[in-house]
Amino acid sequence: MRDYLSLFVNGNCVHVVGEQVFMTLSEFLRTELRLIGTKIVCAEGDCGACSVLVGRASKDSRTFVYHSIDSCIVFMHQLDRTHVISVEGLGAPNGGKLSAVQDAMVRCHGSQCGFCTPGFVVAIHGLLEEKHVKNCDTPPDSLDDDTLRIGLSGNLCRCTGYAQIIEAGKSVVASEVEPLNDQYPPRRMLNQFAKTSGPSVRIEVEDRVLLMPSSLAEAIELKSANPEARIVSGATDVGVWYSHGRPSAAVSIGLTGIDPLSDVHDHDTEIVMGAGTNWTRLIDTLSESFPQFVEILHRFGSPQIRNLGTIGGNLVNASPIADSIPFLMVVDATLNLVSVRGMRSVPINEFYLGYKQTDLQPDELVESIVCPKLVPNQILKLEKISKRRDMDISTFTAAILLTFDDQVVTAARVALGGVGPVVLRTPFAEKSLIGKPFTIKSMRAAGRIARDEISAISDVRGSAAYRGQLAENIFVKWFYDCESANRDEVTV
Amino acid sequence: MAVVGKSIPHDSAIGHVTGQARYIEDLVAIEGELWVDFAGAPVAAGTIRSIDTSTAAAMAGVVGIYTHHDIAGNKRFGPIFHDELLLAEDRIDYLNQPVVVVAATSRSVARKAALSIRIECDSTTPILEIDDAMEAGSYLGPLRKIERGDVETGFASSTHVIEGVFRSNGQEQFYFESQACQAIPGEDRQLLLISSTQNPTETQAVAAEVLGLGMHQVVCQCKRMGGGFGGKETQSAIPALMVGMVAQKTGRPARIVFRKDTDMLVTGKRHPYVSRYKVGFDTRGRIISAKFDYFSNGGAYADLSTSVMERTMLHTDNAYHLPNISISGQVCKTNLPPNTAFRGFGGPQAVVVIENVMQEIAQTLGIDALDVRIANLYRDGDESKNTTPYGQVVKNHLLPEIFAKLESTSDYRRRIAAVQSFNKSSTTMLKGIAMSGVKFGISFTSKFLNQGNALVNVYTDGTIQVSTGGTEMGQGLNTKIRQLLADEFGIDVDDVMVMTTSTEKNNNTSPTAASAGTDLNGTAAVMACGEIKKRMAKFAVDHLKLAGKVEDIIFVDSTVTTRDNPTGEKAVPFGKFCDAARRERVDLGQRSFYATPGVDFNRETGRGTPFHYFTMGAAVAEVIIDRFTGDLTVDRVDLLMDIGQPINPGIENGQVIGGFVQGMGWCTTEELVYDDAGKLLATGPTTYKIPNITDIPKVFNVAYIDNPKHDVNVRLSKAVGEPPLMLGISPWLAVKHAMSFINSPRIAELPLPATNEANLMCMTGLLDEFDAPSKERSVSGTH
Repeated sequence: MRDYLSLFVNGNCVHVVGEQVFMTLSEFLRTELRLIGTKIVCAEGDCGACSVLVGRASKDSRTFVYHSIDSCIVFMHQLDRTHVISVEGLGAPNGGKLSAVQDAMVRCHGSQCGFCTPGFVVAIHGLLEEKHVKNCDTPPDSLDDDTLRIGLSGNLCRCTGYAQIIEAGKSVVASEVEPLNDQYPPRRMLNQFAKTSGPSVRIEVEDRVLLMPSSLAEAIELKSANPEARIVSGATDVGVWYSHGRPSAAVSIGLTGIDPLSDVHDHDTEIVMGAGTNWTRLIDTLSESFPQFVEILHRFGSPQIRNLGTIGGNLVNASPIADSIPFLMVVDATLNLVSVRGMRSVPINEFYLGYKQTDLQPDELVESIVCPKLVPNQILKLEKISKRRDMDISTFTAAILLTFDDQVVTAARVALGGVGPVVLRTPFAEKSLIGKPFTIKSMRAAGRIARDEISAISDVRGSAAYRGQLAENIFVKWFYDCESANRDEVTV
Repeated sequence: MAVVGKSIPHDSAIGHVTGQARYIEDLVAIEGELWVDFAGAPVAAGTIRSIDTSTAAAMAGVVGIYTHHDIAGNKRFGPIFHDELLLAEDRIDYLNQPVVVVAATSRSVARKAALSIRIECDSTTPILEIDDAMEAGSYLGPLRKIERGDVETGFASSTHVIEGVFRSNGQEQFYFESQACQAIPGEDRQLLLISSTQNPTETQAVAAEVLGLGMHQVVCQCKRMGGGFGGKETQSAIPALMVGMVAQKTGRPARIVFRKDTDMLVTGKRHPYVSRYKVGFDTRGRIISAKFDYFSNGGAYADLSTSVMERTMLHTDNAYHLPNISISGQVCKTNLPPNTAFRGFGGPQAVVVIENVMQEIAQTLGIDALDVRIANLYRDGDESKNTTPYGQVVKNHLLPEIFAKLESTSDYRRRIAAVQSFNKSSTTMLKGIAMSGVKFGISFTSKFLNQGNALVNVYTDGTIQVSTGGTEMGQGLNTKIRQLLADEFGIDVDDVMVMTTSTEKNNNTSPTAASAGTDLNGTAAVMACGEIKKRMAKFAVDHLKLAGKVEDIIFVDSTVTTRDNPTGEKAVPFGKFCDAARRERVDLGQRSFYATPGVDFNRETGRGTPFHYFTMGAAVAEVIIDRFTGDLTVDRVDLLMDIGQPINPGIENGQVIGGFVQGMGWCTTEELVYDDAGKLLATGPTTYKIPNITDIPKVFNVAYIDNPKHDVNVRLSKAVGEPPLMLGISPWLAVKHAMSFINSPRIAELPLPATNEANLMCMTGLLDEFDAPSKERSVSGTH
C-alpha cells in the first residue's frame, strides 16, 4: 500500500503526499511548484485558461498518450503515474526558443491581455500531438479551420475574437512541432512508475482518507466497507463542487487506476461501455454504431472536459440535463451495478427515482452500461439545446427512437431532459404515435401531448415557457430532419 | 527603418505565450503578506441589525477584521458624485455589498473567515428594474436633454410615425483577470498599491481620501491587466481600498484577488436601458423628426452612470442626420451593484436603438433597410446633413463611401435577394441579413479628462524608457507607444521600453478609457521626444558641428546625422551621441503634457464640440435561425472601417475583431439573469456565455478604407478600441430582419440579447398558430 503519489511535471519527478493529494492540479502547479503560467479564471472547468496536457501510459506501456485537461478541477490523486506538461514545459524547457505554436501566437497577434493565452498554447499543442499520434507514419500537415474551432472550443478568450488565434493555429507547420514523446522520452518516466511499489494507494490526513484501489474487486470491497465514500473518477462535477467550497468527503475512492472500467466492447447487437470510459474515447468508439450520439458528444462539455469526464459519472450524478441520459433511455440501455453482493442489471428507464436520486445502493458501483444497437427499421434523433452552441450545459435535451413497419410507427420512445426533476419519458406522446404513419400531423400532435406531460421550471438557462415550446416543437423538427436528411431511412 | 505602420508583436507577447507575464495573483509573495477577503450583505436592500464576527475572530490565522468604523478618512467616494461606500454603514444598497473586510495569513483562511461572518439584516423590497425605479421616482443625477428643431411639427409633417420601447440588457465585462490588488506599506504612512486598474490616478486619489492620507503618500502602479474593458476604470478601487486599509492597519503587505463569481456578483456592468422612441419619416424613409428618452439602470451609486448616459445621448444619431430631434436621458437608482464603464460607454445602447429604428422604418415602408440608412447618412460638406444634434459638424469622413463600398464587397444586394427566396422555401430555417454603421466620437465628454502626460528618459547607451499614465490591458497601447518613440528617434523598437504605469512617474492622469489611450499618451510621449530632439539637435550643431542648422539634423537608422548626407561619415551612432550629449550636460529627459485641442461640451445646454474626431465603419451580418428551437448561427460578417493610419495594423485588427465579437456577445448569448431578490444567477462562464470560438462567423471579412481627409491625431491614427464593438449589433439586426419574414406586417419586439430563447419566443409570438404563454420569464430576464 503506497502513501504517496508519483508523477512527473515537465519531465521532473514529483512525489505528492498528504494534503497535497486533495489539491487541484492548478493549485499544486501554482503554489507548490510556482509554475504560474497556468492561470485560473473560473475554477469550474469552463474557460480553459488552466489547460495542461496530461500523458498516461499507452496500452503497451511504451509511450505516453497526451490529452488536454482543465487543471482547475482535477485532483492530484487523479494524476498518479502521469506526466503533466504545463505551458512552462512546452517550447524549450530551459527558457530559450519558443515552440512553433508560441511563435505563431506571437507573430499572428494571438494574444492581447494574455491571461487565456497559456491555455490556448497548451490546447493547440494538444491538437498537434493528437495529429502526431493519429498519423504516426506520415508527416502530419497543419491544423485546419474546423479542427481548430472544435479543438479550441474549450478555451475562452474575451479580447481577441479568436480570428487571430485561428490564424496562428493554421500557420503552425505541424512537422516543426516535436512530438511530446520525443521531447520528453517516456522510458525513464515509465520505468520510474514501474518501480513504484504497491499499485494501491491509501493516504490519510487529519480528516480525510484517499483510497485508490487497483482492481475492480478491491474497489467493490472498499465501497462496501465505506458506503459513505465519495467515488471520484473524472471529477468534472466533484472538482467543481470543491472549488465552490463544498466540503470534501471524509473518504474518497479514486477509480482512475482501474483500467478495465474504461474498456468498450463492441458486440453484434450491443455495445458494453465501462463506466469509467471518458467521452473522448466514446466518440472514438461509437461513431459507427451511434453517429447521432457522437454528434451530441462533440458538444458535450469541452475537449478538456471530454478528456476527463466519464459516462458513469454522468449517469450517477443524475442531473436532469445530463447529455447522455435521453439517448440511453430511448435505446433502453441497462446499467450493470456491482457490489460484494454480486451484480445486478437495472434498465436505465428504472434507474432514476427523483431529483438527483438513483437506484444505486450505497455499497454499489456502476460497472458498465449495455447499449443495444439499432436495428434497420429504426430511426434515432437527438437534440441538445443550449444558450451557446459549444461548451454549454444544456437547457433542454431530447431523444426519440421510432421503429417502423413500412411507413407506420410500431414503437416509439421519447425522452426529454431539462423539463422535470429527472429526464422524462413521455408515454402519452409515445402512445399517440404508435400505429400512425409518420407525418407532420402526427408529430405535431405528439409534440402538443408531450408539452403537457412535462413539468419544466425557469432557471438561469431558460424559462419554463421556452422549455415547453421546445418540447412541443422538437417533434416537428424531427419530422423535417428525417424528411430532408434521410428519406430512405424513414421508408425502410 | 520606420516601425510605425508595422505589425510588430505585442510587447508582452512572449510573456503571454510562455505564461511568464505576471498578473497580480502571480507576484511573488512578500514575507508576512496577508490575504484579504470580505463578507457582503445578504440582502439587496435593508438595514443591518447585527454583525457577528466571533467565529472568524477565533480562527487561527485571522489577523484583522474591519468594518466601516475602521475607515480613517472619508467614508464616501466616487468618480463623479461622492456617494459610494467602501463598507456599508447601516443601510444596505445592493446584494453582497461589502460590509466586513478580513485579513488572514492564507487565502483559504481569509475565505473561510469571511464566509463565517453572520450579517443579520432587516430587508426591504429592493428596486431592481428600471420600470420599478421610475415608478418610485428613484433617480441618480439630473435629467439631461439635447434638442434641436421642432419635433412636434416634424411629426406632423411626417408621412409615417413609429413608436416603441427598446430594452437592452446589461453585459458583464468578463475580463479574465478578476479585480485584484497588492498593497505594500512603506515609511511615513506611505502606501504602494499594485493594482489591476485602468485608472491609477483615481486609485491613488480614492485611497488617499478613504485611508486619510495625502495623495503624496500613495503610489499606484499597474504593469498590465488581464483585460479591463471599462470594468477597471473605477471599480478596481474597491479591492485596492480593502488591501490598502489592511496594509495601513497591520503594517503588513496584503493582497486580494476576487474569485470570478465574487467579481461577477459585486462589480458593475454595462447599463441596461429602457429607451422610448418615436420617429417620423417620409415615404423614402428619411427621418424628419425623432424623440428618444433613455432610462438606464445605474445601480446603487452614481459611479460613471451620468457620463455613460451623456455618451448615449451623444450617440443617438449614430451615422445618421436627425433634423428635428429631442433626446432625454435619466439614470435610475436601483439596488444593483453600481453599473459602470464597459467598452462603448453608453454608445452601444444608443446605436442599437437607432439601428433598430432603421429596420423598423424599412419594414414599415416595405423597402430595404440599407436604402433607409443611406438616405439618412451624414454627408460631408452638405450643411443640411452634416451637423449633429448637439451642434458639432461631422467632417472629413467617408460614411457614404464606406456604405457603398461594403454594399459592393459584401455582395449585399444579391445576398438579400437570396435570403428572401430562402425564407420563402425553407420550412425549417430562417435567414436574415443587415448592414449597420457606426460613427463613434473620440474624446472624453468631460473636457478635463482630455489630457495626458509622458516622461521620456534617454540613457547614455541610446536606450529609452518611457512612462505615461496609460495602462496596458491587452489593447497594445505600450507596443504602439514604443513604435511611436522608436520612429521619433530613428532607433530600433527594442531600444524603447515602456515602463510600468505609476502615479509616481505620471501624475494627475486620466483613465485609459474612451479609446483615447494612444491619442493622449502617445501624443504626449511624442511631444516629449520633440523637446529632447531639439536639445540634441542644438548639441549636434553647437558641439559636434554635424550641420550648420538644427533643422538639418535628423534621427535615422540609430544615428544622429544630417539631412543632406544621412549615411555620411559624420553620422553618429545614437548611443554614442547620447553619451557625448550627457557629458556636455544636455538634458536627455523630458516630461510633456498634451491637452486635446478644440473639445468642449456644455451638458447644461446640450451644445458643443465634445469630440476631436470620429471613428467610423459599417458591418454586414447574415444569420440563420432554426425555426423550431430559435438556435442562432452567425454565418457571415463583413466589416469595413476607417481607423485612420494604423500605428500597428496587426494590433488594431485585433481590436476590431475582438470589439466586434464582444458586441456580438452582448447582442446574442450574454444574458444576465437575476432572481427576484436581486441575486445574479449568472456567476461564471458556466452560466454566462461569452462568445466561443465556434460562435464566430465562418466567413469573417475585415477590411479598412483609406481616408485621405483625416488630418488630426498622432501620426494620423484613429482610436480603435470601442467603435468596432458597435458593429457587433449587426447580427442582432439581422435577426430582427429575419423576424420580419414571420408575419410580415407585424414588427417583432425582439429583446436584446437575441438569445436562442428570445428568438424562439419572438417567432412563436409572431405566429398566430402557436399560443405563446408568456414572453417574460418569471425569474426576470429583462434587466
